[in-house]
Amino acid sequence: MMHVIIGGGAAGITAAREIRGWQPDAQIVMICSDEQVHSRCMLHKYLSHERTAEELDFTEKGFFEKNQIVQICDRVVSVDTADKEVCLASDRKIAYDRLLIATGAESVIPPVGDLRKAENVFGLRHLSDAQKIDKMAEDAEEILVIGAGLVGLDAAYGLQERGKKVTVVEMAPRILPVQLDEHGATAYQELFERAGVSFRLWCSVQNAVCGADNRIHSVELDSGETISCDMIVVAAGVRPSVGFLEGSGIKAERGIEVNSRMETSVKDVYAAGDVTGLSGIWPNAMKQGKMAARNMCGVKPMPGVDTEYADTFADKNTINFFGLVTLCLGALQPEEGDEVQVQEDMHIYRRAILRDGKVRGILLQGDISNSGIWQYIIKNQIDVRGKGKKLFQLTFADYFGTGERGKYVWNV
Amino acid sequence: MRRIIVEYEKCDGCKNCSVACMQAHRKSAGTVYDLDLTSPENESRNFIYQAGDGTYRPIFCRHCDEPECVMSCMSGALKKDAASGLVTYDEKRCGSCFMCVMNCPFGVLKPDRTTRTKVIKCDFCAQDGGEPNCVKSCPKGAIHVEEV
Repeated sequence: MMHVIIGGGAAGITAAREIRGWQPDAQIVMICSDEQVHSRCMLHKYLSHERTAEELDFTEKGFFEKNQIVQICDRVVSVDTADKEVCLASDRKIAYDRLLIATGAESVIPPVGDLRKAENVFGLRHLSDAQKIDKMAEDAEEILVIGAGLVGLDAAYGLQERGKKVTVVEMAPRILPVQLDEHGATAYQELFERAGVSFRLWCSVQNAVCGADNRIHSVELDSGETISCDMIVVAAGVRPSVGFLEGSGIKAERGIEVNSRMETSVKDVYAAGDVTGLSGIWPNAMKQGKMAARNMCGVKPMPGVDTEYADTFADKNTINFFGLVTLCLGALQPEEGDEVQVQEDMHIYRRAILRDGKVRGILLQGDISNSGIWQYIIKNQIDVRGKGKKLFQLTFADYFGTGERGKYVWNV
Repeated sequence: MRRIIVEYEKCDGCKNCSVACMQAHRKSAGTVYDLDLTSPENESRNFIYQAGDGTYRPIFCRHCDEPECVMSCMSGALKKDAASGLVTYDEKRCGSCFMCVMNCPFGVLKPDRTTRTKVIKCDFCAQDGGEPNCVKSCPKGAIHVEEV
């Protein structure tokens, strides 16, 4: 059996490991555009020089040799699903019995001014992006970041740690608008500002013109302000990497369409991770990769071994900048009729949105100890009433149950 | 693999297990009699929490068969060891994202209190030959190690 995996991120690596576990003798080929396996969640630590490229690797030393995985560093240009072959940029063709597409996503550079053609504008998605940013930052003083989501703040964090003057432009009236309410966002904004980062909120870049050197030296905001910059990092979202699928017959719109077994519309072709557009969350990508691998190996479901991607809850994030930690789950904005509970002191901020005794969303900042129960409570819509406790005092003790072999089970 | 089996009905909430855990993982040398229980650096990896009726529930890492913490780790710091079955944690590799804290369905994990750079996680007292000190210290027999 020949398994071919395109992409060496969370989904691809997890799938490769899982396939090897089920099929010790199968052939596994991984095609990665980057030679160095890296965790994109740690790129900010590369920019800040806290970690080297090698220290971003989330696999153990000798992962490919130990698991007998052939790694090919190349770019896939097309997939021939009739002949079951993957065509590489080097003209090489790789035949497969089962194919997993885990190519992730690419940064979107908005078509504003010369952003798309300037040579000092970068996304921050791959190690190669971070390396380009790092190199140009050597001679840059003022850096503009477009977007104050997690990626934009990663860029801002890493570059201010290098002593750069960073300005972040965000369309929303607060930073981290998808994850945080105003209170939670203000806490981070103050920490970033204390570190020297400035923000321009509720405004957007209206124009950015290249100079003769093909670089943008200043941008105009819709507020009328002009901000000078030596380079720009754009963190305005991503789109699944599906360009090479044209003509393959594999159905993809925003992302590759998959069923719960991670099968695409074409037989023996699977997809997992950000390329499916199902979620942009690392744990979900790992789980999708694992389920794809099991189905690629023909594993039948049995107790303790799921083969379907059922744990799809993806409204979840943790944030940690400057030692301030936050957990955000589920709904962020209360709707008409929702109950909102808030608890706050000097060090912590907790906010929950409830409806009919069920938690729709929760935000914990400052202390997220033992907070894993909340994801379970939200995604399983557990009624939190009747436990004789205030909401934020609930622990697993209130739902404690044990099962076979000493496992814990939720007793609801 | 070996797992700490919990019989909560026997627990009377004395927290000897938590003190033993703090003592086992303290940085400075010393005996349990000079252990600083109020130092934020001394944190227990296990928890005794009360249910609404006042009875106690020991919340201990299960070293799960399919560990959600490992399935959320973006740095490779958390791993399920194939030989021992334990979920191991390498704090040097940890990227301090705390997705593991978010993903543990039993709420066993937490960031460290002083630096927020590492996770407080049961290591089955590997430094003491893999015999958990919490189990040794329980006067009620509410926790014991079993091959499962």
